[in-house]
Amino acid sequence: MIIKFSRILGVVRNQLSGIRPSVRGYAVETLAGSLPSAERKTSSGVSATTTKPTKDLGPAKGLLAFFDSKDNWEVNEVRVGRSWRKDELRIKSNSDLHKLWYVLLKERNMLLTMLDEFNANVESFPSPERIDKVHESMVNLEEVVRERNKAYYLLETGETGERPGQLALNLLGMQFFFKTAEHVVPPKHNNHWFKTRRLGCDRREVAQFRLYHNEKIWLEKLRARRKLTRHVMKLYQKFPNIDEEALQAEFPEVNLEKVKRFKGAQGHYLFKSG
Amino acid sequence: MSTRWYPIYQKGNPQLRIFLTNFWMKMARPDPNQPENIVKFITPTQMSDHDIKQYLEKIYQVPVADVRSKIMEGKFRRVPQKGYIIKDECYRQAYVTMPPNCKFKFPDVTSNKAKREDDDMKKYEKTMKESYEKFQKKNAGRPGVPGWFGL
Repeated sequence: MIIKFSRILGVVRNQLSGIRPSVRGYAVETLAGSLPSAERKTSSGVSATTTKPTKDLGPAKGLLAFFDSKDNWEVNEVRVGRSWRKDELRIKSNSDLHKLWYVLLKERNMLLTMLDEFNANVESFPSPERIDKVHESMVNLEEVVRERNKAYYLLETGETGERPGQLALNLLGMQFFFKTAEHVVPPKHNNHWFKTRRLGCDRREVAQFRLYHNEKIWLEKLRARRKLTRHVMKLYQKFPNIDEEALQAEFPEVNLEKVKRFKGAQGHYLFKSG
Repeated sequence: MSTRWYPIYQKGNPQLRIFLTNFWMKMARPDPNQPENIVKFITPTQMSDHDIKQYLEKIYQVPVADVRSKIMEGKFRRVPQKGYIIKDECYRQAYVTMPPNCKFKFPDVTSNKAKREDDDMKKYEKTMKESYEKFQKKNAGRPGVPGWFGL
């Protein structure tokens, strides 16, 4: 009985609310009416729960970092220095590198935005080499941080801390390298991974293929070796008094004693006698 | 929040912190009739909405109310004169909503085009004038000699 009564009350309240505003709505309306029109506009969209007129935050100044300074909008060339070198970065502290990284990151974002904007307006972007310089600095910085990370891990754990890799055979029996990743499921239960990776092969099926493939690789190596030999032979022909030690150091694979006796290694000229 | 490799997060472990994020982000020109508190961005496809929000709040100190993004397919286009077809890289297009009392107007970067061209022309004229004066000075003592003679 009590439940029914409360329901009826609720229905009546809902119907009445359509006719005249509720207490809360009435209060908000009067407050809004008392404020100047501009203020009302801003306060209406924020949130219904807060009755305090919110402060106008104004333009988002942080977003201006996506654009170059105004002086550089009209010039044809922006004079900048060179990129950061590794030696310079190595003597910086970790916190300095951290700060510099975000300076560079913001600079790169700014340059990319400006490049797009200039391209959209069919204008030439002033000093586009700035993008390359920032990129080079970022690559150098990352390498320096990685060096420190490696040194720390080697000292603490005896490993580099880099992402490990592994060699495996694919379906054709060819070796390939892949970077290993962490998994929640241990390997002996992770059938899905093995199915998608398709590792391993039937040796008998791929035997013929591997034979031809290895032959191809071997021939390529042979050709490269022959090319070197021919090059050394021509050097002997051109410079009969060549420094053999330096030559052997340059081409350690070539057998000089053998190449020297080749017909092509003999010069077709005569030395002046006396 | 980075394209580098990180250990996977297990429940109960300390929260993963990303140092030195390497994501890029660029602001794009606004669409027509885009509200003033909405800004359009182009980001790499790997970035999530949460990443975009954190990126702007932490690095640029911009208040962010909402982020909506989608992956846009890069355009297929024919290379001029070569004839083969290439595809531009896909990117993520994000509409970032700031609080309604926070506004940003996309600046007109290349409005002073005429001025820039004038500057270029003046520089060119100046160099031309200087070189002609130099040429005249060189040939002052030998009238009637052709211009190519003193090369």
